[in-house]
Amino acid sequence: VRAKHLVWIRRISQAFFLGLFLFLLVESRLPEDAYLQYSLVFSSDLDLRLSQPVTFFFQLDPLVWLSSLLSGHRLIQGFWWALGLLMLTLFLGRIFCSFICPLGTIHHIVSWVRPAIRGNRMTLANQKTPGHRIKYFLLITLLVGAGMGLNLAGLIDPISLLFRSLALAVLPAIGVGLKELFDVMAASDMKVLNYMSYGGEALVSPVFGYGYLAYKTAWFIGLIFLVILFLNRIRPRFWCRILCPLGALLGIFSRFSILRLEKDEATCTDCKLCSRRCQGAASPMPGQTWENAECLSCFNCFDACPEGALSFRFRWSPKSNRWPDMGRRAVLGGLVGGISLPLLGQLDGRAHHVSDPRLIRPPGALPEEDFLRVCQRCGLCMKACPTNVINPTLAEAGMAGFWTPHLIMTQGYCEYTCTLCGSVCPTGAITEISAREKIERPIIIGVAYINRGRCLPWSGNGPCIVCQELCPTSPKAIYLRKEIVPGPDHSPMLGNVPHVDLKRCVGCGICEHKCPVRGRPAIRVIAAGESRSLKNQILLTGSVS
Amino acid sequence: MDLNYPLTRRQSLKKIAQISASLAGAALGACPLLSQGLAKASTAGKGFIVEGIGSKQDYNIKDLAGKVFEAAGGIGQFVSRGDVVVIKPNVSWARRPALAATTNPEVVEAVIELCLDAGAKKVRIADHTIHDARRCFALTGVGIVAKRTGADLVFPRSSLMKRMKLHGHRLDVWPVFVPLVEADKVINLPVAKVHELSTLTLGMKNWIGGVGGRRNALHQDIHQSIVDLSRFFNPTLTLIDATRIMISNGPSGGSPSDVAVKNTLILSNDQVAADAKAAALFGYDPGEIGFIHFGQKWGLGTYDSQKLIQQRVVL
Repeated sequence: VRAKHLVWIRRISQAFFLGLFLFLLVESRLPEDAYLQYSLVFSSDLDLRLSQPVTFFFQLDPLVWLSSLLSGHRLIQGFWWALGLLMLTLFLGRIFCSFICPLGTIHHIVSWVRPAIRGNRMTLANQKTPGHRIKYFLLITLLVGAGMGLNLAGLIDPISLLFRSLALAVLPAIGVGLKELFDVMAASDMKVLNYMSYGGEALVSPVFGYGYLAYKTAWFIGLIFLVILFLNRIRPRFWCRILCPLGALLGIFSRFSILRLEKDEATCTDCKLCSRRCQGAASPMPGQTWENAECLSCFNCFDACPEGALSFRFRWSPKSNRWPDMGRRAVLGGLVGGISLPLLGQLDGRAHHVSDPRLIRPPGALPEEDFLRVCQRCGLCMKACPTNVINPTLAEAGMAGFWTPHLIMTQGYCEYTCTLCGSVCPTGAITEISAREKIERPIIIGVAYINRGRCLPWSGNGPCIVCQELCPTSPKAIYLRKEIVPGPDHSPMLGNVPHVDLKRCVGCGICEHKCPVRGRPAIRVIAAGESRSLKNQILLTGSVS
Repeated sequence: MDLNYPLTRRQSLKKIAQISASLAGAALGACPLLSQGLAKASTAGKGFIVEGIGSKQDYNIKDLAGKVFEAAGGIGQFVSRGDVVVIKPNVSWARRPALAATTNPEVVEAVIELCLDAGAKKVRIADHTIHDARRCFALTGVGIVAKRTGADLVFPRSSLMKRMKLHGHRLDVWPVFVPLVEADKVINLPVAKVHELSTLTLGMKNWIGGVGGRRNALHQDIHQSIVDLSRFFNPTLTLIDATRIMISNGPSGGSPSDVAVKNTLILSNDQVAADAKAAALFGYDPGEIGFIHFGQKWGLGTYDSQKLIQQRVVL
């Protein structure tokens, strides 16, 4: 194959996989025509599911597989994709980075569209630096940490990072902006603008999300993404070369790659075009030693060489490639980091003491310790949730649980018959349950309690039964009883006041969400009583545990 | 037309047309002719109530709905060729139809087909649901009904909620779900359920699903709010789906034991009368239910069935 063709094959592959990633990202939400697949709607119990395999890229990601295997001792569904990719890498090198990785493609585009540095300075920028070892340090920290029970891989895994950034920051930011524009148009007196608003919203919201999506700390997620993109101005594909732990993992696995760069020093005129276009700073120039583990197999050097001094060839010799240049410090630092972080992570007391009352996990979530071992913080559950209740945590779950999902009931509520989040979780941190299971077991995520000082009927400020009306269990966990309450002029009066039956409450939070007392509602849900935890129980139940 | 109440755009256009027509008529000296025409229109608007009961084991809901409309003089009486009809079911909860938390999709389908047979240009289904609308429309079956019949599903969106003057006794300005106002004919299609605060939720209370805004505050004066909203929306027809009714744990239900099968449809052009008839299915005296009582008091309709043309259909 000629070099030019190889480069074009690469570009087509990059475009395809970036497109596929964006398509699956957009499809990670309940569509408005969710009903279309359900012709049996009249008779059966249904679980609405997404129609696309939205977890594909997570299954393909060996870092997701390895970290959840090391940390949670479980094989994620569809892990053979990742296994297959590792096998491929073993023989062909880091072609994932240049042919498939959507984040890599975005970096590639950003550093290609407007390169900050040109000419000879680019050649210099594309030389290998000791900074390249940072990614090995990060990888070792992550994997050793995972082995010790702290799984932070998702924070910097490229697939999780990209999904989280786009799903929780970029798309909602654009979507809410457009929605505001449509609202202005809808409020206009001109009929044409009204229709345009309606049509525009119908067109845009399936892509950017329905309504006013909000995610806590999304600004921070977006900021990090912008910084990572900006780093391309310092050096092309800064992220891939210096920070990406998945790239480091694939670099290590490219040891036996049979696809090798052959250099012909005799024909080389030392023009350095190969170095100038090298994406990975892998020293492609004749005279330098080719860094197999740094090479992204983008075939740019092959394409750039005017003399034909470079070529990629399959060589079936048993001789293995250079071991990646990690440096002793990166390895030792990684070991120290990997051992100390899990120990430090326990110090905020989440594992051995009572958890934060606001830490309400999605229905079907594993017990906290197991949950943290496999959750990738990718944001897929948050994107899929139809009520926008699932949000990234900041400090609620401690350092170890930063950006893991939790439910903020003032922002949404967990719909009683909805089990979508568990069906999309790539690692099974939220197990897939059916609506029947959720209702009949039941799966309890917390319990509601009433603040009588704020509650309208309890404080004698008038009738209100919103929480009771909306309580979805049968019989209702919130019931009303006539009681004497203090009236407006301190005279006793008969009020119909709500009570919570702890034996029935599942913590769905619709009461908190719809309570007319906004901000800090008169009825709130806390995590106590969640069925996934043996410790966090309130009531004495029949079985001894 | 009562000018104390807000006009929709269509109504105001009609009104302007009427005024200019009457001015033109006055100029031609044809006043007596016009007033004759108006008098005729008011007799045609007499209240009626039709109760349809499916007594046979395997009665067909569509046939029953057809018979009920026939008894009321045929759907053609209410829906004209070229009309845009909006149907307001109660599909507030993402629950399967058998749990009676939502309007029976077969009834919705029957009514849409009748409207289309009558020559309606477009039929829309609109509801501002409590649960997520996508899940509600899917699980309650109205989504698939819309697909089968070609009706439009209108999703509640903030841009479709417009602040309008309700001129109610309690509610003045409130965000209204626009598609329910911008139609030629409005058919209210609620399901009959119990409710802790308003005792029952029937046709009139279904209009809480027709507005946006701080709906959870309406409960602080529920009966008057219901009457204000019913007066504002003023549907062409109310068809109460009592094929299955919810007798306990309302309005969300959730268990088959909360449901009673009544195989009944109640059709009326009088909102108060329809609700009163449905209240009897639960064993209530209509006068003791606040919003029915207020509805009559404020002249929305009557629960005195003697004042109405009554029909009964048994299938």
